[in-house]
Amino acid sequence: MGGSASQLPRDLLGEYQELTFLTKQEIVLAHKRFSELLSKEERESILQKRVPKSKILTLPELRANPFQDRICRVFSTSEDEDGSMSFEDFLDMLSVFSDSATSEIKSHYAFRIFDFDDDGTLDRKDLEKLVNCLTGEGDETRLSESEMDQLIENILEESDIDKDGTINLSEFQHVISRSPDFASSFKIVL
Amino acid sequence: MTYHYNEAFENPDYHYSETLEIDRSRERNSSFLQNLHDSSLDDDSLYDSYEGGRGQRNQDYPMASMQPGFRYSHSSSRPNTNPYGNPHTNPAFEYEPELPYTSPSTFHAGDGPYVRRASDMSDGGSFSQRYNRRQADLVYRMPSSLLSLDSNAETYDKDKYKQEEKLIKNLASMSSRERVKAIQKTPKTMKEKRDIRNKILMEKTKKSVSSSTQINCCTQCLYKTALSYQRFKNGLSEYLHLLQLWQKTLKVIGGKFGTSVLSYFVFLKWLLTFNIFSFLVNFSFITIPQLIASGPNNLSFTGLELLTGAGYFKQTVLYYGFYTNSTITKTENNSSYNMQLAYIFTIGIYFIICFFSLVYSMAKSFRKNFINPQTYSGSAAKLLCIWDFNITNGKAVKLKQSNLSTQIKESLSEVTLEVLNLSLKQRIARIAVHLLVWVASLGIAAACCAGVYFLSRNNLQLLEGNKSELENEAATLVLPIVVSLLNLLIPFCFALFGLIEKFQYPRHQLYTTVIRNICLKISIIGILCYYWLNDVATSEKECWESLVGQDIYRLIVIDFIFCLLGSFFGEFVRRIIGTKCCKKLGVPEFDIARNVLDLIYTQTLAWIGIFFAPLMPAMQIISFFIIFYVKKVSLMRNCQPPRKVWRASQMTTLFIFLLFFPSFTGVLSVMAVTIWRRTPSKQCGPFQGLTSIIDAISGWIHILDSYSSSKWVVWIYHNLIGSVHFFFILTVIVLIITYLYWQIIEGRRIMVRLLHEQIINEGKDKMFLLNKLRALQTSKLDPPKGEQQERSSSSYQPYRRAAPQMTASLERPFGRNGRDFYVESSSAGIPEKTSLSPAEEEGRQPGISETLALALRARQQAEWEMEDNDDEDFRP
Repeated sequence: MGGSASQLPRDLLGEYQELTFLTKQEIVLAHKRFSELLSKEERESILQKRVPKSKILTLPELRANPFQDRICRVFSTSEDEDGSMSFEDFLDMLSVFSDSATSEIKSHYAFRIFDFDDDGTLDRKDLEKLVNCLTGEGDETRLSESEMDQLIENILEESDIDKDGTINLSEFQHVISRSPDFASSFKIVL
Repeated sequence: MTYHYNEAFENPDYHYSETLEIDRSRERNSSFLQNLHDSSLDDDSLYDSYEGGRGQRNQDYPMASMQPGFRYSHSSSRPNTNPYGNPHTNPAFEYEPELPYTSPSTFHAGDGPYVRRASDMSDGGSFSQRYNRRQADLVYRMPSSLLSLDSNAETYDKDKYKQEEKLIKNLASMSSRERVKAIQKTPKTMKEKRDIRNKILMEKTKKSVSSSTQINCCTQCLYKTALSYQRFKNGLSEYLHLLQLWQKTLKVIGGKFGTSVLSYFVFLKWLLTFNIFSFLVNFSFITIPQLIASGPNNLSFTGLELLTGAGYFKQTVLYYGFYTNSTITKTENNSSYNMQLAYIFTIGIYFIICFFSLVYSMAKSFRKNFINPQTYSGSAAKLLCIWDFNITNGKAVKLKQSNLSTQIKESLSEVTLEVLNLSLKQRIARIAVHLLVWVASLGIAAACCAGVYFLSRNNLQLLEGNKSELENEAATLVLPIVVSLLNLLIPFCFALFGLIEKFQYPRHQLYTTVIRNICLKISIIGILCYYWLNDVATSEKECWESLVGQDIYRLIVIDFIFCLLGSFFGEFVRRIIGTKCCKKLGVPEFDIARNVLDLIYTQTLAWIGIFFAPLMPAMQIISFFIIFYVKKVSLMRNCQPPRKVWRASQMTTLFIFLLFFPSFTGVLSVMAVTIWRRTPSKQCGPFQGLTSIIDAISGWIHILDSYSSSKWVVWIYHNLIGSVHFFFILTVIVLIITYLYWQIIEGRRIMVRLLHEQIINEGKDKMFLLNKLRALQTSKLDPPKGEQQERSSSSYQPYRRAAPQMTASLERPFGRNGRDFYVESSSAGIPEKTSLSPAEEEGRQPGISETLALALRARQQAEWEMEDNDDEDFRP
């Protein structure tokens, strides 16, 4: 840490506390971790700086996550869609993944993370990508085409309530509501 | 016309005008207020944020339509789309297109109401003028089929804006706490959330300035206290956060092994807090007063006591026998401390608190994890939320992925296997095997119990035999060692049975193993309790309570040692074998069920022990502490992440239930027998000389009876606590309430089923309408060449280009919620396409109006249903 210069101002801290699910300690820790991603000179103006995706993904919490690209993409407010994150984006992300975030908001963002083409529904292509992320891209673990088809068929069969061939947000949340483990597993703590 | 639009668009007042609220009230207002905290707030904001939230898709929309040129063309095209006449001649005309929405009754009547309403409106000139601005807005925001494309985009923007307005209004009316919560819950970026917050604050200050110019002293004072309380709470939470035990360790475990193994450690931590609480209670209300009054201990300490709990410890505050029955008076001014009452009340109140906290956590857990009215057989949908974001270790991620992959493959092959039916013979054979195994395991449990009982009776006689002190003490260790050995070995035996049995689902196997193990453990504890209460308590021994306390002490200590040995041999040696000698075995997995059951077993013992040895929780604390670290190290060194899916929440619920049902209720009954039925020992302990322990209470009540100021206590005792009638009535009332709730649940279940069917039907309707509209669109999209040319030269061109984009984006992102999807796509998205085609012809086409009618009806239905179902739809 760069000493007192990189401390968060008090009122800003309060504001972040009000706007996110994070506690004061978590915000301070997030600030510390975020400033470690920046170079020495950049730390002075941490709130204005954006950290490129490649650097964000060096965080041990995200490094191994198969959904890392999507996470960056969803939480980034960058105009160029490069997945770079400002400190506030970073806090947004931690807030959603924190312990105290509600299941609704978690499922909302989970849906967006899984919605690979950003079109507002999980269609077959999204599901295929999702399953590939779950099983890994390796040749041994990857599902064969027929297996994939069968699996997606099963998923849609179970969760596509209105039978329109895609899973929309409310259907997704319905599925989530039936699996209580979700809230505890959709969690990233610094 | 254009002027109206512009004014409406640029006038800032417009955004705040109250009238805006009116038109959408039907859609959301009621539900919004009702359950602002869960669904509707999200719905509103989801809608916004998903689209415009990150600003990345805005370009999909024909935002260019805001340019004057477009707007102009838009208005010029409108007469074409409207078959009912020229809007310029009728000032109220613009109101028309909304009619199908606002008044459902006008819908079926065809064209009639339009005319009538229009003339009504034109009657009052001032009226129409007043409405002018609003009308302009209405035209915009209506997803009416009669409007052309760009107005829809603007509609959408305005809609969004207005929803935000309403959101802010609603939020502003909340208390600050609720508001903060609501803002936190909106899925938006920080900047947007901040904007909303600032707007609310502005609104607030505006209001407060206008309404209350002076704040009186009292509210100011209240405000200040609230503020300082808030600050205090924040500060406290900071320090509590520091106290959070093992935060880092838990994170590391979760990162490497996922939530399933983590749940064991969380359970351990939860039990530890229970014990810390009971230790604090017992220590401060029983032990400290006794320590003040007690004399010096003149027994020598040899070290073996740590194992046996006898000898030196007999004369310490550890055991029941050391406590006096006198009132302790230290100060001169006659204030005294009645040890009997302190003892019984402390332990009684502790058990009551335990009871309620167990019931509370059990109920919470049940509510969260077993609410599903319908059990869906499939598990494919689970994949949507199966990924454990806690896992941060690269290797663990790889492993988890390959595990998931095999699991998916297995389950896929299982689905096909399940179809093949077993023959009758096979089925009978299977049931026979199950029965056999059940008989065998219950038989083993019974045999263990019998063995333990005879051994313990034998032990009791051994104590009477005249042998040296040391030999006696060593002999007492036989029983706990045998019990711990049984507890360690029999579960392995049960696990072997699992190989013989074949279960359809692995889940069933897990449940049966857990049930068998808990049967074994609880029956062993049960038989020991029988021995203590039936043999030891009636054996005329000196201080039988302390003897029982020592027995429990030994059981806990030996069990602790076996637990350490178990994790050494069970995990460490097993890993050595698995990696060095027998590669096929591989690295062991952490057996969550077995370990949690062990914890439940020791906790049960500790609860029983609390009465006989008030400082038992201290031992539990130490042993849990050590177990935590040993298990952690053993886990990190020896184990691999579990291969199977462990449904952590459901299993935790089951374990809490087990902790409550056989374990805690069993402890309560043992306590009840001890307090009401057994005679306390004559020479030692706080209750010496009484015929039963409960006599202490009745004696106290008797004394209280003579004081007039405490008559109410006596009354309560006689009429409520001591009265059978009261409990009888209470039970009846509780039963009635339970029955009522049960019936309500049944009703809800039926309701949920019906709603589910309704959703499916609506989905079908939607698909049908979409197909129909698409068919119409394709047939109509090839207009005569000449006309097409003419139009393309005019301002129509841009829409055409925007159309595919627009419809694509309309069709899907609007589906923020099942019904809204239907609403938007059926009545807004698709008709737009039809209105692109030459409109004059189209308006007169019966086919088109029919489709429109269908679409509009679908929308209305959806709207009504939305209102009806809003709170029940997806969250039963």
